[in-house]
Amino acid sequence: MKVIKKAIVLCLSFTLVCSTLTGCGSKNNNNKKSNTTEKTTSAEGNSSSTEEESSLSGKIELFSTKTENSMILQTLADKYTEKNPNVTITINAPAEAKTVLTTRMTKGDMPDIIAMGGDTTYTEVQSAGMLEDLSNEGFVSNIQESYMSMVYDVNKDKEQVAYGIPYATNASGILYNEDLFAKAGVEVPTTWDEFVQVIEKLKAAGIQPFELTFADAWTCLPTWNSLAPDLAAENFNDERKAGNVSFGATAEFTELLQKYIQIMNYAQTDFMGTTYDDGNKAFANGEAAMMINGNWAISEFKKTNPDIKVNMFAFPGTNDTNKNYVTSGVDVLFTISNQSKHIDIAKDFIAFMIEQENASQYIEDQFAFSAVKGVEQSNITVAGVKADIASGKVANFPDHYYPSGFDLSAILSEFALNYMNGMADDENITATLKNCDEQYDATNVD
Amino acid sequence: MKKKKRISLTFYAMVIPMAILFFIFHTIPFLQGVFYSFTDWKGYGTWNLVGLRNYTHIFSDKNIYSSYLFTFKLAICATILVNVIGLLIASGLNAKIKCRNVLKAIYFIPYMLGTLIISFVFKFVFSNILPMVGEQLGIEALRLNILGTNQAWIGVLFVTVWQSLAFNVLIYLAGLQTVDQDIYEAANLDGAVGFKRFMKITFPLIAPFFTINMVLSARGYLMAFDQVMAMTDGGPGTLTTTISVLIYKKGFSGGQFAYQSANAVMMFVVIVVISIIQLKVLDKREETING
Repeated sequence: MKVIKKAIVLCLSFTLVCSTLTGCGSKNNNNKKSNTTEKTTSAEGNSSSTEEESSLSGKIELFSTKTENSMILQTLADKYTEKNPNVTITINAPAEAKTVLTTRMTKGDMPDIIAMGGDTTYTEVQSAGMLEDLSNEGFVSNIQESYMSMVYDVNKDKEQVAYGIPYATNASGILYNEDLFAKAGVEVPTTWDEFVQVIEKLKAAGIQPFELTFADAWTCLPTWNSLAPDLAAENFNDERKAGNVSFGATAEFTELLQKYIQIMNYAQTDFMGTTYDDGNKAFANGEAAMMINGNWAISEFKKTNPDIKVNMFAFPGTNDTNKNYVTSGVDVLFTISNQSKHIDIAKDFIAFMIEQENASQYIEDQFAFSAVKGVEQSNITVAGVKADIASGKVANFPDHYYPSGFDLSAILSEFALNYMNGMADDENITATLKNCDEQYDATNVD
Repeated sequence: MKKKKRISLTFYAMVIPMAILFFIFHTIPFLQGVFYSFTDWKGYGTWNLVGLRNYTHIFSDKNIYSSYLFTFKLAICATILVNVIGLLIASGLNAKIKCRNVLKAIYFIPYMLGTLIISFVFKFVFSNILPMVGEQLGIEALRLNILGTNQAWIGVLFVTVWQSLAFNVLIYLAGLQTVDQDIYEAANLDGAVGFKRFMKITFPLIAPFFTINMVLSARGYLMAFDQVMAMTDGGPGTLTTTISVLIYKKGFSGGQFAYQSANAVMMFVVIVVISIIQLKVLDKREETING
């Protein structure tokens, strides 16, 4: 009895403990294959044939890391194949796209066109040397320079080469309820001082100024992401990476967290326990005047309350209006695999997508913004940031430049928790910035 | 010469296929994980062997330190609570009370539901229903979502205990049913009743089941994952980040694949050691009781 029991216990323990490791092992692939990138692009010479569309024939695959846009991509692809009857385009937008893509990458089975975000996924694929250089294509000049440089920034060693073409972008800032603003008699603020006045007035009018949703830790990020580019020096991220500066010793970050605390002062009581979904519902029902998040939340509000009058404005982080950027990153970036057999078709398709008409159709469907010059989002829900985006007064999400193991949202969530627990502000700020530096250094090593 | 007994091939046919599958899908990935813990692989791209660097780094990592601390806190509390409450419920259910089978079914329901589902349900209860009740009744303590406060771990602990209680009750119940009724009768004659009977007669007799429950619970809670992912995602801050959650979050999305593999190996060793110690100690206890 005892021996059997012991055996059972040990076996069960072993099996279940192993499963943590199994999870890790299953992702293993033969990564040696990923180095076969010397293959030159045989189709390069044919790229002049973009005008004679009918001469193109072949089958290409368009892979999208966003499941949300597969419908509109399909619509546009159908439009393209109508003009080019000999071309077939397969759209593939799986769930867990990043994992699928890395797996296919290691197997050397890359899709022809990959549409992904301008984030670490792109950096991974790009630094593996698997993407076609698109710098010499005519359509690059149709893309806003500010978004082009965001792509260069996430290239390995900041190489100034267009391996990806920014297509659609997002925007983060302050989402506000126009009706509540009108009720309190306040205008959209453009400086920090005005912003503070607006908050005070809203409060005086009995309106809760902010709805924060920190139960989902990622929602701690937008405030930081909006404030950091406004306040910190432009080269801070590079200098930090090199280890020349620190969060703790940079006065702007102390200021950032002081402003962050001011925001929390005016949020609902249980902001640490409110989830993103619940907060969106509360905001949509007019329980608060502002939320600090991005254009992607608008469709969530509309689900709860289709009549909500919501609009956006850039986070007024400073008193210098020239520095109050709209936080905007590349949401969809077109890239072409340099192993594709139909690079000419892929290039032609991207050129087609960038045409004004098609780019407009895309952003209208997605509530997004376009990286293509002259294509503006006309939806009134984002009218407040439209001009800034069109004129390129945008700053990328600073966390796109942080090492991927640096979990800023957890640090900020701890900061908010300390605040809730009544820790003195100075002490909290010092501890948080110290934590930022420690965590940053810990991940930067590997 | 002793004649060797021929063993029917049927027995091998029952065991071998599974053993092969187990080896391919379980043991090999496990060994690969161990191998990668000696590299600097990020989960993609090229890698180099780095020797024990990952392991030495573990000891200076604040995140790992705090996650171990939290995991042990959770595991110890949950193990004690589950075993005490489980034994109480099992003793109750073993008595000849009315609706015994209905009650058994009710207690077993949480085990049939997945941890994730239960966690999402309780996340909703904690974040919406309890604050509403607190608001209505004017109870200040209930107004805040417990998962967003320093006490978030209590919420996690509650769900963990509630979900895993059923399995422990089941094992204790099975144990209690192995106790011969004649022994109770004899005990009654000798004047051992109630709590005294439980401590002197029942508990020693189900000692092996206690051992199994202790070891399985401790091991299970040291690897707590689902409930944390569903309820708090390791937050607020990193207050409820267990070792498994840390491995998953930093290993997969944080680009620390190899480093967290090393952490997983560490955790494996720690849990094996704890299980062996538990078995040794509890076995000795069983012997002293029974011998």
